[in-house]
Amino acid sequence: MVEQQAAEKDNSPARETTARWRESPLWRPFRPVAVGGGTGLTAMLFRFQSFFGLAVVFAAAVVFSPTRDGTILFLTSGNLFNVVRAVSEIGIVAVGMTFVILIGGIDLSVGAVVGLSAVGIAVLLVQNGVSVAVAVPVVLAVGAVFGLLQGLASVRFGIQAFIVTLAGLQIARGLARIWSGGQGVAISYGDGPNQAPVVFSLLGERTFGGVVPIPALFFLAVAALAVLFLRVSVFSRHLYAIGGNEKAAWLSGVPVNRVKVVIFGISGLLAALAGIIHAGQLNQGSPNDGAGYELDAIAAVVIGGTSLSGGRGSVIGTVTGALLLGVLNNILALNDIDSNIQLLIKGLVIIFAAGLQRLRPAR
Amino acid sequence: MADEVPLVSMVGISKRYGGAQACAGVDFVVRAAKVHALLGENGAGKSTLMKILSGEVTDYEGQVAIAGEPVRFDGPAAAQRAGIAMIHQELDLVPNMSVADNVFLGREPRTRQGTLDRRRVTRQTRELLDRIGVALDPGLTVGDLRTGERQLVTIASALLRDPRVVIMDEPTSALSQPEVERLFQVINELRRDGVGVVYISHRMDEIGRIADHATVLRNGHVVREFDARSMSAAQAAEAMVGRPVQTMFRTDTESGDSDVGAEILRVRDLVVRPRRARSGRREPNGIMLTVRRGEIVGLTGLLGSGRTELLQTLFGAGSPGRWSGTVELDGRRIRPRGPRQALALGVAFVPEDRRVDGLALDHSIRANAVLSVLGRLSRFGVVSRRVEMRTTGESTRQLKVKSSSPREAVGGLSGGNQQKVLLGRMLLTRPKLLLLDEPTRGVDVGAKAEIYQLLGEIARAGVGVLMASSELTELVGVCDRVVVLRNGRTAGELSTRHSGEADLLAAAMGDMDALTDEGREKSHG
Repeated sequence: MVEQQAAEKDNSPARETTARWRESPLWRPFRPVAVGGGTGLTAMLFRFQSFFGLAVVFAAAVVFSPTRDGTILFLTSGNLFNVVRAVSEIGIVAVGMTFVILIGGIDLSVGAVVGLSAVGIAVLLVQNGVSVAVAVPVVLAVGAVFGLLQGLASVRFGIQAFIVTLAGLQIARGLARIWSGGQGVAISYGDGPNQAPVVFSLLGERTFGGVVPIPALFFLAVAALAVLFLRVSVFSRHLYAIGGNEKAAWLSGVPVNRVKVVIFGISGLLAALAGIIHAGQLNQGSPNDGAGYELDAIAAVVIGGTSLSGGRGSVIGTVTGALLLGVLNNILALNDIDSNIQLLIKGLVIIFAAGLQRLRPAR
Repeated sequence: MADEVPLVSMVGISKRYGGAQACAGVDFVVRAAKVHALLGENGAGKSTLMKILSGEVTDYEGQVAIAGEPVRFDGPAAAQRAGIAMIHQELDLVPNMSVADNVFLGREPRTRQGTLDRRRVTRQTRELLDRIGVALDPGLTVGDLRTGERQLVTIASALLRDPRVVIMDEPTSALSQPEVERLFQVINELRRDGVGVVYISHRMDEIGRIADHATVLRNGHVVREFDARSMSAAQAAEAMVGRPVQTMFRTDTESGDSDVGAEILRVRDLVVRPRRARSGRREPNGIMLTVRRGEIVGLTGLLGSGRTELLQTLFGAGSPGRWSGTVELDGRRIRPRGPRQALALGVAFVPEDRRVDGLALDHSIRANAVLSVLGRLSRFGVVSRRVEMRTTGESTRQLKVKSSSPREAVGGLSGGNQQKVLLGRMLLTRPKLLLLDEPTRGVDVGAKAEIYQLLGEIARAGVGVLMASSELTELVGVCDRVVVLRNGRTAGELSTRHSGEADLLAAAMGDMDALTDEGREKSHG
């Protein structure tokens, strides 16, 4: 017989203090959702690693920001507006990616689905003269069904998510090219033929109360819904359980396959939403839109502290991760840093964040 | 003899895991040309002691000396260089590589050009296999071998190093009788060559035959030393358990057959045809058994007899192959296609390896405990935190789980408490039939006794329990009847009222005469 206690954890005196800590009301706001976890101060640091990261990058952005007439350009409302708007698309995609990564999967197709749905909305509105109330649900459905089909393929044939969505990436790009006839479809607004309804320009130009860009509202709504969903739903428990130990979840009666398929559907749906916003912002839908978004989304998730092996992480982390990347992008651009150097810096930040993950207190 | 410097001397070895004291001041000596048996229950500290000797555990207290020289290994590699070879029970082989490549893994010989010396690998592997008397082609893929054959490959691999000390952790648990005989010859050869052998086993008869000396551990202490040749099984068992064996177990067996009710499970001619012919699994191949309400039925047989596969099939979690025969639950034919369906029907299953198949170790006790009943604890897909905490609390109290908070990560609990969380999860589903696979593996003695009591309570509440175990004392102490499997079929059935461990062992090994008449009737009828 194997003496299995062998692998068990050290019981340090610090742990009792921690246990008391965890029962105190002060700790309550920091409690993990479904995940038990490390101990004490270090655990908290790690849990909010992405917040601290965001704070540090934000402070650095203020310090290194160029100034004009004594105003810090980074902090001008126009600039912050740009940051939030730029983050919104990636952020929405990254929320879906968080779900997928929480079950230990990955979705490489999201960038291509963004392109597909940007093209889709443009073609439907401009060339087919469909109303917004029809076009948007149709495009969202296309994204969701695309995701569901990938989930089904993965579950049915037992193919890893990486492979299925890599193939999905190609297929979505191909569909986008076919749908658009191979080139970008410009969106002009008006009531005439080949013009999109004016309502749709909301996404591009309007703001809420003059400060908050409309896409950011969508991002906020999606993130808030996702956070709530992960806190209270049975589905989210199943999701965390699958990420924590898939076999155990299955043997406990969790409908593993169904959950997986639905999660890929959600990821596709959110990618489609991001694609619609993208088209609204750029006033066009091009089949190459959203290229590389999947990588930015994964980066945001990882910086946000979600474990790539699944079962551990949060949407709040992902939101801060996306903001961190957005601020970083913005400050590098403000300072006119060479775009190639920007890539280097982004890469190093991701490695640093992932390295911090490894330092997490042992399970 | 006594003045001779021992090959290994371990003095005052102590090691704690969390709250559990695995070893507490253990002294242990291995002499050249002797076979030392190491006995003890699960959690007694045998494996820990041997992991310290083989360099797998490095943070311990006490002294280890090899041939009189004090050493402190910083890893398994250092121990191997010092001539210590450990043969693990859980066969550390790479399944998709060949036998020869596995034997030489990490020690691949080079030709003068620096490339892998294939010819030497194959030749030396064949020599080693010949030495232990196995007719295996070195080119076969390990994944295609039977468990027993794999065991022999690991032994060959250990011998390649020309070790001075060989540690064998239950080497015979997967071997057939001729293979065991062959292994004993190898051990005798090793002894002649002056190698010191440490032999961990639960089989008393083997220890009497092969060992010179026996050390019994209990709760991390050496409780007794025996001359293995004159030791009786009863003496050893008492030393291992530390009390008259019976009190460990259920105390309600005096109630007799009166409260045993209607048949809850009836399995007839169950045959599973696996998709792959040599998957290494022994699928059910003619299983007959019944479990009645309020009854605890044991399931035993040697490793690879098909116990686990039977339980998995009943739970809908077996191999996807087609199966024939009938399974009736409460008189209705069932055919669960998956765990979810089985649970809905009232069949619950606690798997053998809780860390791999049972728990999400990072997640809280609460998240693990209520996983199977979330649907019941929720409305419109929203989990009620209050109901959930209450349910978790009830479950952990009933099962006496020791933890600081339900938010504690389940991986931080002791093996016994982890097992209770898992058992609690399944009990929350209110099963009619509870399937258990090695329910006390890696569980300390105290928690074991609690689990046995609990099983008694569960049965009294009218649940049928089918429990696979390889611990014969446990089967005799806990079960009303024991079904013996061999090669995937029911070999017989014994009433624990009339038979002891020796009968069970004999039946499992294939000695049909040990079966009661009743059992024989059933197996042939």
